[in-house]
Amino acid sequence: MARCEFSQLSRDEPCCPLSRRGRLCLGLALLVLILSAAVLLVALTRSPTPTPEALAWNGTGSTRNLFAIVLGRCYTYTQLLRPGLGSEACPKILDAFKSAFISKNPCDIMKEDYQPLVDLVNQTVPCNKSLFWSKSKELAHQYSWVQGGMFTLEDTLLGYLADDLTWCGDPSSVEPNYQSCPRWNECLNHTGSVFWKVISQKFAESACGVVQVMLNGSLSKPFHKSSTFGSVELFSLDPRKVHTLQAWVMHDIRGNYSDSCSGPSIRELESIVNKRNITFTCQNNYRPARLVQCVKNIEHSSCASKI
Amino acid sequence: MASPGRAPWRLPLLALLLLLPLGRAADAGWGGEGSSPRLQSIFLGRCAEYITLLSPQPGDKNCTAIWEAFRVVLDKDPCSVLPSDYDLFINLSRHPIPRDKSLFWENNHLLVAGYSENTRRFMPLCDVLYGRVGDFLSWCRQKNASGLDYQSCPTSEDCENNAVDSYWKRASMQYSRDSSGVIYVMLNGSEPKGAYPIKGFFADFEIPYLQKDKVTQIEIWVMHEIGGPNVPVKLLMCVDHSTHPDCAFASSAMAAAERGAPPRSTAHSSTLLAALLVALASGSQM
Repeated sequence: MARCEFSQLSRDEPCCPLSRRGRLCLGLALLVLILSAAVLLVALTRSPTPTPEALAWNGTGSTRNLFAIVLGRCYTYTQLLRPGLGSEACPKILDAFKSAFISKNPCDIMKEDYQPLVDLVNQTVPCNKSLFWSKSKELAHQYSWVQGGMFTLEDTLLGYLADDLTWCGDPSSVEPNYQSCPRWNECLNHTGSVFWKVISQKFAESACGVVQVMLNGSLSKPFHKSSTFGSVELFSLDPRKVHTLQAWVMHDIRGNYSDSCSGPSIRELESIVNKRNITFTCQNNYRPARLVQCVKNIEHSSCASKI
Repeated sequence: MASPGRAPWRLPLLALLLLLPLGRAADAGWGGEGSSPRLQSIFLGRCAEYITLLSPQPGDKNCTAIWEAFRVVLDKDPCSVLPSDYDLFINLSRHPIPRDKSLFWENNHLLVAGYSENTRRFMPLCDVLYGRVGDFLSWCRQKNASGLDYQSCPTSEDCENNAVDSYWKRASMQYSRDSSGVIYVMLNGSEPKGAYPIKGFFADFEIPYLQKDKVTQIEIWVMHEIGGPNVPVKLLMCVDHSTHPDCAFASSAMAAAERGAPPRSTAHSSTLLAALLVALASGSQM
């Protein structure tokens, strides 16, 4: 750029007596300035290119720190809780978990999306140790924790990794959607529901011997055909491996007792089970599980008389 | 949780004899379990899980910073780690303990974990953030090199100032200081050396730090294998042994428990209990 030199002024002379070259220089500078201002103005006032926004859903978003939790749980399970599965697979398990849903529309998830994850984990529950549950999660978990040898779905590795967590992806991002995820009723096959269906099926398929199911006798229908147990697990039991299904119908300690085992809901379950060539037995308020309930309700008369 | 074993080496006998003096020096390990593999991942995962899912307060904790404060001990000589080395770690991870929910124990870790129901019923030390991250884990630096020793770590018999013991001492001190209201103590009455270990964590690092002006009452339960008076916990044990005669105890005993009668104790543990009560009365600080 040409140096614009200004000669010294005297008070009586007109301002800025520039040479012709100086004027040209100044003019150029001004022109550049105006052009830049114009470009800037256009750039700012133009509507910004829309950055893709994540889809919005009605349910809570993905659990914060999702991947740190899942990886930590994987190591805890394989090293401390049930050694024997090998913790070297944990980073691969995390990757397979991510690839099932990252950058995908959470309502377009298919069973095949979780296949790589399922293929990595080869875990069989010992015979006679599978404990299914329907509408009785808390008690079933307390019972399996205290009893030690039984496995609910959430006592298997994949169930343990995901229990109580929420996760879903978004087509516009490589991150989980932490803002919102679909609720159960927003779309049929969403990230969470497909996962639980896939592993529930596998859990039931690999069961053998006598299997147990804990049902909630305080509901009008302890057995419901539309529950995960009624629609997925029951029909995935293999009659060549499973010879008996024991139902434990647990009533809320503070509620009314009713003989649920002879009620219509359980009889429906019984007929389905028998049609599949599996023996069915039923107990109201299976005693060891009842004792677990009594721990929290020690003053209740039902606990005093029971024991 | 077995410590990682070493594969047996097959060497010609002569070579073995020659190497024996050297081999013994090289193989001289500590008496305790080696460092837990993937310690950092487990630590961070547990921290994240605690502040996201379990914490009674919204998570304002920074798990990375907590880990960084913790890991300074991994650079120290395995027999030179003091409880005070965990001060920053404790400061970053401490949080209030709800009143009347403190549960101290000796020699019955699994029962306590089952009974506490993941902070809902009680909050023992393993359900507090600074106790949760280290629960069932082991860690120590190698003797003469940096990096973790995965073969073995010192126990209290090897040296007093080892990383894991100092951790639990420091965590226990903090837990006691932050406890308030009714304090529950669960002791194992079937422990052959006695329900109240005179030299134990409870005696040395918890009782002395209980705050007299915050603690209103101390309730002691002495648990036996199946018999024993504490009904809720006994019920838990009965789940596994529901046909045991002790699990069908008379309703009068039940009623007595409900009325809050003081727990009975066997002759063996009563003298030790007296010692415990004396310690509690004189030991808790202002």
